[in-house]
Amino acid sequence: MFNLAILKDKVAVHPSDFGGPPEQAIIAELNKKYANRILHDVGLCICVFDITEAGEGKVRYGDGFLWYKVVFRMVIFRPFQSEVLLAKVMSSDHNGIRLSLGFFDDIYVPVPYLPLPNAFDPNERAHFWLPNSELKQNELLDSPTVERMWIDKGEVVRVRVEADEFYDDEPGPVKMADGVQVVREVQSRAPFTITASMAEQGLGPTSWWSAAQIAEDGAEDDAAMDEG
Amino acid sequence: MEVVNPRAALLSNYEVLSLLRDLESDHLARTKTAIRIKKEEEASGLNSNFPAGGGKDPTVVEVSENLRTVSFEAIKYLSAEYQPTASQTPEAITQLIKSLEPYDLTKAEKLQIVNLAPQQHIELYVIVEELEDRLAERMEDVMSHVQESLVFDPAVISAPLGQGLAVPKKKENRNNGGDWEVDEEYAGDEYDDKGEGAGVDGDLDMADD
Repeated sequence: MFNLAILKDKVAVHPSDFGGPPEQAIIAELNKKYANRILHDVGLCICVFDITEAGEGKVRYGDGFLWYKVVFRMVIFRPFQSEVLLAKVMSSDHNGIRLSLGFFDDIYVPVPYLPLPNAFDPNERAHFWLPNSELKQNELLDSPTVERMWIDKGEVVRVRVEADEFYDDEPGPVKMADGVQVVREVQSRAPFTITASMAEQGLGPTSWWSAAQIAEDGAEDDAAMDEG
Repeated sequence: MEVVNPRAALLSNYEVLSLLRDLESDHLARTKTAIRIKKEEEASGLNSNFPAGGGKDPTVVEVSENLRTVSFEAIKYLSAEYQPTASQTPEAITQLIKSLEPYDLTKAEKLQIVNLAPQQHIELYVIVEELEDRLAERMEDVMSHVQESLVFDPAVISAPLGQGLAVPKKKENRNNGGDWEVDEEYAGDEYDDKGEGAGVDGDLDMADD
């Protein structure tokens, strides 16, 4: 889930921080710049792990800051492919389920990655799975509600990371058409999204599987009781 | 900004959690000393708005909003009751990794075993590829190594088997879930508190049944 990235940057330390130890000031500046931000093709920055290398602070012409060249290690959130994560269901719609980890909530489980056969019930606003069902896809919504294995909002689910995607949100050069500036429609796409899957044994709401286990244990207990 | 290596090393959830907690307690300690200094200065009649040396107001320990948000949320996620982090210790994790050596698991699989602490076959099954072929009977051994690496609360272990062991993770974390300050020490004053809490949980479960 988490890994370390080695980054290199120049940091300016404000004169009011000269009183304290410089490494503290540098780490504070780096955290201010990177924490909770997405680095393209790197991942979500959490915080500075440590400073590997820092040059002598230099004063440049024009300001009173001390500029440091720093090589540092950053704690990055970027789960690798096929990693198994625990997450909470944030919302569901026809296209799939959105999951959240609290500090990161652009994890999507599209419908093809849900366990088959499944359907979305618009009344409950939730997807459900019907194991061992013989109904056809378009009859699934006629199933009795008690038999459905719901994937409810707020439930803890186990998912496998299938892919991640970075989207560079940087606006390009201004486009002109007939001398008039074309206003580009603002796309609000998340800069970093993860596609995850539940379509596998053991994935999906953790309660499905622990319930199965308990039922098994219960059956064994009963058997033992009978023997005794 | 230049990326030297986007993935230099992998970190376990436990490492990240303890790093963030250190950061948070460090911040808290700094704020406290700063407030103390300010009070002392006020008592001695100095004007604390203009501290000697022309530095910043010492009571303002700056931590950027972004860092606070992300570390708060990450701590919440990593110490949630469905995570095994509360029953892990650095020594136990090192021990676990060592004991997983002979099973020929990949680095990523070992990392996930540490992060998720699988206690059921199905959990191990999703982590390890081709589990049956590669581990076969040794599955139980792996699971028992995992079990050994987790420090369970004595109150939970002494609880009636049927309730206590079915969902051990949930119970013992519930009490110290969000409480990172006291969490680092398992023994000591906290024990009583947990005991009581666990008792209450048990009662609730009975009611549910």
